[in-house]
This record gives sequence, C-alpha cells and structure tokens, in this order.
Amino acid sequence: MKSNLIVAKFWNPDTLMDALAEVHHKGIPVYDCYTPFPIHGIEQYMDIKRTRLTIASFIYGLLGLSAALLLMAGVNGGALDLGWDIKSWQIDVGGKPYLAWVDFVPIAFELTVLFAAHGMVITFFIITGYYPGKKAELLDDRQTDDVFIMTIDADKVVRHDEIKQILTEKGAFEVKTTA
Amino acid sequence: MHVEAQVRAKLLTNTEQYSQITDDIARPIEAAPNKEWLFWTTISAIVMTVCCFGLIGYLLWEGIGVWGLNTEVGWGFDITNFVFWVGIGHAGTLISAVLLLFRQTWRNSINRSAEAMTIFAVLCAAIFPGIHAGRTWDLIWFAPIPNTRGTLWANFNSPLLWDVFAITTYLTVSLVFWYLGMIPDFATLRDRFTRKGKDVAAGIYGALSFGWEGSARNWSRYEIISLILAGLCTPLVLSVHSIVSMDFATSVVPGWHTTIFPPYFVAGAIFSGFGMVQTLLIVMRRIYKLENYITMEHMENMAKVVIATGTTVGLAYMTEFFVAWYSGSFFERYVFINRAFGDYAWAYWIMFSCNVLSPQLFWSKKIRTSMTATFILSIFVNIGMWFERFVIIVTSLHHDYVPARWANYTPTWVEFGIFLGTFGLFFTCFFLFSKFLPVINMFEVKTLLHRPKKPSGIPEGKKDEAVHAH
Amino acid sequence: MITLWDSHYKEENANRLIRWVMAIDLNKCTGCGACVVACNAENNVPVVGKKEIMTHRDMHWMRIDRYYSGDLDNAENVSVVFQPMMCQHCANAPCETVCPVLATVHTSDGLNSMSYNRCVGTRYCANNCPYKVRRFNWFKYHNNENFDFHQNNPLGKLVLNPDVTVRFRGVMEKCSFCVQRLQDGKLRAKVNAKQTDAGAFAKPKDGAIKTACQQTCPTGAIVFGDLNDPESEVSKLFRDERAFTALEEVKTLPSVSYLTRIRNQKADEVKVNHAEHGHKEEEHTEKHPS
Repeated sequence: MKSNLIVAKFWNPDTLMDALAEVHHKGIPVYDCYTPFPIHGIEQYMDIKRTRLTIASFIYGLLGLSAALLLMAGVNGGALDLGWDIKSWQIDVGGKPYLAWVDFVPIAFELTVLFAAHGMVITFFIITGYYPGKKAELLDDRQTDDVFIMTIDADKVVRHDEIKQILTEKGAFEVKTTA
Repeated sequence: MHVEAQVRAKLLTNTEQYSQITDDIARPIEAAPNKEWLFWTTISAIVMTVCCFGLIGYLLWEGIGVWGLNTEVGWGFDITNFVFWVGIGHAGTLISAVLLLFRQTWRNSINRSAEAMTIFAVLCAAIFPGIHAGRTWDLIWFAPIPNTRGTLWANFNSPLLWDVFAITTYLTVSLVFWYLGMIPDFATLRDRFTRKGKDVAAGIYGALSFGWEGSARNWSRYEIISLILAGLCTPLVLSVHSIVSMDFATSVVPGWHTTIFPPYFVAGAIFSGFGMVQTLLIVMRRIYKLENYITMEHMENMAKVVIATGTTVGLAYMTEFFVAWYSGSFFERYVFINRAFGDYAWAYWIMFSCNVLSPQLFWSKKIRTSMTATFILSIFVNIGMWFERFVIIVTSLHHDYVPARWANYTPTWVEFGIFLGTFGLFFTCFFLFSKFLPVINMFEVKTLLHRPKKPSGIPEGKKDEAVHAH
Repeated sequence: MITLWDSHYKEENANRLIRWVMAIDLNKCTGCGACVVACNAENNVPVVGKKEIMTHRDMHWMRIDRYYSGDLDNAENVSVVFQPMMCQHCANAPCETVCPVLATVHTSDGLNSMSYNRCVGTRYCANNCPYKVRRFNWFKYHNNENFDFHQNNPLGKLVLNPDVTVRFRGVMEKCSFCVQRLQDGKLRAKVNAKQTDAGAFAKPKDGAIKTACQQTCPTGAIVFGDLNDPESEVSKLFRDERAFTALEEVKTLPSVSYLTRIRNQKADEVKVNHAEHGHKEEEHTEKHPS
C-alpha cells in the first residue's frame, strides 16, 4: 500500500458519505475508501469510472462463442481443415447433416457463458491484484467489520492540517497520517 | 445524494450494530463444534463413505449389472437421481442470481446457503452420469480434445454431450459466483481471528480471502461483476435444465419426445429446489439461532414460490395428457394412460399428490407460518419431485413401441444405497459448510441495517448526532 | 416423404458404394428360431443363464417377435405372425444421434456400425432404439465364475468365432449384419477384381455373401444383399408390394424390409381383436386379402 496517506476513520457509512461529499466539494482528491460492504453512490465522490469489465466479459463471451462454433463445425462438420484430412472423415451420424447448426446451439451457448464468466472473474483478479494467499494491507483491523475508512494521498494535497480538520469536523473518530 | 439500500425491517430483526452481524454469523465458526453437529456430521460422513463411495466401488468392480436395469429400461435410479439433484441445485442459483437482478433484498440472508446447496447438489448430480456409464474410466472421451484416434472426437449432436458442457459450466460458474461472494466475508473472518490472536484460523481465512481489504474502487468493480455474473447465471440456470430435459425431449421414446419438457423441467427444478431450501433453512435457522436473519418473511416468500411453481408443474402434467390425446399418436396416448393407470401408477399418483396437491396447503397463512407444517410439506415436495423424474424415465421406457420388449424395472439395494449415499455426501458438505464458512452473507446483510448504533471501543466523533437527524 | 435435410445416400454414389439391406419374408418364416441360434454362434453372443434372462438381460442379437390375431379369448384358435427382429440399420438411426462419443455411426455401405472400443456404455442408444435391439454387457461374461457357461472354460471357448470380438463388460452390442463376413466378401471381390481391372470399387456378386441367419434359415425367408444393385434379389424384394418397414412412422428409414404375411382365409373367419392387440406391426402384418 502507498505510504504517506491521510487516513480518516468513521463508524457510520452515512457519516463517511457526508465527509466524502464535503471533501469532493472542496476539490480534494480521494485516494481510496475502505468499507466493510459496498456503499452505493460512493463512486461519484471518488471519480471512479464505471469499470470496463463488462465489455471484457462481452468480448470473452464472443470468444467462447466463436471457439465453440469453430470446434463443432470443424470437428463434426468437417468445415475446417485443421491440418488433418478432416473432410474425408465426415461421419454420418443418424443421417443428420454434417453441419447440424441447430445441434450446435446448446454447446455454443454454454461455452459463451463459460468464457464470459471465467474470463471476467480472472480479469477482475488480475486488475485488482488479489490472489490466493495474498497478505491484506490493512489500515485498521476492523475495516472489514464495522469501520469505514477514507484515505487521501498526502503527496497530492497541501494544507494537511486543514483537511484533517474538515475530516474531524465531519465525524471521523480518528484522523492520522501513515508513515 | 447517495443512494441508500432499500430497507425493510422485517428482513433483519433485533440487530443494531454491524459488529453484531459479524458476531452472530461468526459465532458457529468460532465455537467448538457442538455434540449435535459432531453427531450428524459423523453420521453423514459414514453414509457418504459407505453408501456412496463404497457402493460405487462395488459397482465399478462388478459392473452395471448389480443395478436392476435391463435391456428395456436402460436408465432408472441413476438418471432419476441425476435430474433430481440438478433440479435441487437450481433454486440456489435462482435465489442468488435471479433475485439479485430483480433487486429482491430478501435474498441477501439466504443466498449464501442456497448457493452452497446448489454446488453440493450439482456435485451429487455429477456423480450419476459418471457412474451410470458402463465404462466410467473411459469418460474422458466426452472431452473434445485432439487424440490419437484420428479425427474421432465427440458427437456434438448428442444431448448427453450437451449435458457435459452444461453441467461443467454450471458447476464452475456457480462455484466462482459463490466463492466471489465469500471473499469479503473471509476477509472479515481473517481480521476477526487476527484480533483474537487465533493465527492459524486467521492464516487460513487470510489465504482464502485473496488479500481483500474492502477498497471502494474494488467494491465498485466487485459489484458490477457480481451483477454480470448474476446476469450470466440466469440464462445459464434456465439453459441447464432445458438441456437436461433435452436428453429426453430429443429422443424418439414416446413420453419423452415432448416439446413441453424444457419449461416444464425448469419449473420443476425451481419447485424442487425451493422445497430443499425450505427444508435446510428451517433446520439451520433453528440450530444456529438465525431467526433474526432468516425471518418469517423469508419462509413465507419461499412458500409462495412453491405454490406458484407447484401449480405450474401441475399444469404441465395435465398439458401432457391433453397433448397425448390431441396428437392422435397411438404410442403417446398409450404411454400416458399406462403412466397413470399402469404398473407404475402408484409412482405417478405419489408424484401428483406431492407436487400438485400438497403445495396448495400453502395458500393458508397459518400453514405458511408454521415451521413444522412447512417442513413436512417441503419434504413432500422433495419426494414428489424425485418421483416425477422416476415416472418420466421409467414409465416411458418400460412400455414403449414394441410390445415384445416390454419389461418392468425393480431397483436393487445397490441403487437405493448409492442414492442414500449421495444424501450423505450432500449433508457432509453442507454440515462442513455451515460450520466452517459464513452461512449468511455478512456484507450484504450489513447493507440492510439502517441507522447503526455506535460500536464499542470507538471514540465519539463530532458529527454523529447530526447525521442521525436527517 | 418430408425431411428436414438431404439424405447422405446420393444417387451418383450408387455405382461406387454398396448399401447393405435385408428382406425378410414373413410368409416363409415359421418361427423356428434357427436364425437366433446361428446368430449366437456366429457372433460370440454370450450365454447368460436363467437369472439374467428373467430380468430381461438376454444378449441375443436377434429375436423372434410373435403377434397374435384371431379370437384372442380362445387360445386354441389364434393365428400367429412371426417377425424376426434385429438391428434395423436405420438410415436415420436414433441411436447414433444420441451417442456422445461417436461409438455408433453410419458406414458408407449403410451399416449402423458399433465400435466396442469406443463405447463408454451410457445406454442412451438402447433407450432411444424403437425396436429395442441393442444389448448391453451388464457383466463380464467370459472368464467369470458367475457365468459358468462356454466362455468360462477352455473347451467351450473353442466354439468362439475368431473373426468376432468377445465384448468387454460395459459396452453395447447389437446385430452387425455379420460385418466380418461383409468385409471378407468385399476384400475377396477386390482381390479378384485386380485381375479383371474393375478397380477398388469392385462389389461382391449378389448372393456371394450370406449372413449367418440367412445361411441357416431353412425356408429361405431371409435375403441379404446390395440395394444399390437394382438387379439383386433383395432389391427386387424391396420393390415388392408386400414390403414394409417396421415402425415406419418413426421415420428411422430401416435397412430391413419385411414382406407382409398373406393368409388364404375367408373374410368371415378373420377376427382381429384390435382393442387388445392393436399395435402397428400387427396392422402391417395382418393384411388379409378381402
């Protein structure tokens, strides 16, 4: 975690939001907040853009769809020349056409969902940097229980005392600067 | 201004502080296992080991012949149990995903255990397609991987292969969805154990928590991907049971070859799943004293879903009969008459009374709010839905086209044993889950708490009163 | 006939490829069961014993279905129609579509082939077979004390046909139209044709290959051959007005045609009790001349 942060701790999410609104109004950039549960509407005070993970998911889904169709058309339909002489191995299965598109729908759908879901979650973990066994960097051992934290990058703001004053005024029960 | 979560006091009773929620839900995890839990977990584990794993071993050693199947009835308990367990799994996804999309906050306190139920049920289900095959060890041939057998891959026309893809996708996506939901709660437990100086537990939950620290930027992403996952799970859950139903619907067997199957199976799956959720939650809220989180409102809502889906299933039963008559198909008509009045009529009428008639009792508020009555009715739902699959599979196969090959099917003790064994597996998993994992989604329930009281050990801030005033 | 897709059997291939079919004349069939025995001997069909037969686990690839007509209340006075039933080698085989691992597929010469090595034993094919002609190896039937029949002793094993695999437990099996004989016949034709320059597509002469059941049938009710050869005996029988296929309405397009049984009876002697035995086969087989 970044050092030299102004840390303000609150015990009530409403108080935190109130303080955030004030800080945002004054044009002070917020570094991050740490809360035990997601607080809706917090993004507007922190200039958080809507994540593009949804777009990523869509692309993964398309990837899954094309992978599925290529696989099935290539394998059962003999539509692809994957380097082997597949054409000669088209197999008559119950008199169905080799490219039985209707039969391909269920698997195409499932692979779309599979790729979209897993691709998105893996990307989420990559961009957030969470991984199994990672040691959490905590500012307070209750920030995942009932303490709500706002941090401001002390390097990016001047007049630290004034900011701390505002935070205390707005209800922070503890305000400090990390080393 | 900011948006507050919609609050309905009924969904969370007698709770004033965030830490109180953590305390209540972490209590079973921290406490030493009580005797009751140890007893039932041991029983389940024994049933799982002996009946499930032991008998599967016997089956693999001897061959499918130890079951009561025959040339005519090629599927019996195996596929019945498969469809039964998959169906049970569906309510979990429905509660966690579909109700999330519909912004039904009442799901917040039951989604975790419902999702756990999904995963354990799908695990139980996945056993059966595996062991029902004559050569289980060759099932790798289902996988579409290049191989040394030339270009002989898998048959993408086969509904059984669709099943493999559907179940794999469903199991893994549900698992990810479930696990993702637990990460913040693992972090809560990690920090709680750290505070209490329990380093081993803190280390385990810490490793599981992926280093979660509750950053608002990541919460923002987290919420979006949860929503997208829910959006993906919704069509997924519908597709999975539709595909399971296509095992039957795409065949030529009279009684299976029916276009009504996909919606009918999905309704049945939701129905049976909610029945199972009721059964489990009634027990769990009693044992773990979670009445403040799983309230009467929850139980009533679920009873209403059971009436709706039970009636839908009943409508499907009658539609089947109508279509059999209306189609003019000789075989179709015979199969349905045979279903209701033939050798397996007893199974048909057990199914009909458990699925269509008994849930109608939930129209009475008295029954809906009586936990004993709800528990009994939920068991009936489970029984009825098991028989539904049995009736569909066995009665259609045992008398089909050629009367020279009509036969009855009598399951053997091995089939009963393996079915019992999957209950052992299911409950072992569920008991372990309820002891070692947070059974209620702590962070989501916390969003339901309105106007929290100041926690202990925290100095007074200047603004507290002012905030409470608005 | 309405169909959603084109047939894989193309006219232009007719000269090149064989299409194996069988015609069974129900007029000639006496229901003696010699074909069943011949089939068991030829194809190493295991003997499974009384207990297994009682639970409908017979392994016979061939069976003789009986349909009764006449005054069914008076058992002395019913007439019976025998219908030898084996794999129909359907062109639109329901069993093939549902096999997840392509263990049963269609060959270019019209056979519904079964590869034991590829089979994982889901039994889906047997469930989806309208004729119920597929047989599953519930147990290992050879070298097994529980099935102490000919496949469990060295002397008994001498009866086994070396051209046919003894199937492992857990796999599906069914009538193959004696594929070992067909392949042998085709090879011989090709070897002979090399000298007479007909090339790789030489076909065996009509009647040169006989299936085991055909060979054994004392009345000659079973005829086997190539449908692509318009002059073959079986082709002529397929064009006969008595020819029908079993369960035609399922549209499996079987490669086996039955020739309706015809009885020389006065109309008032015929009392068909359709209420009790009104199955399709019967309707086909009971066309009485008016």
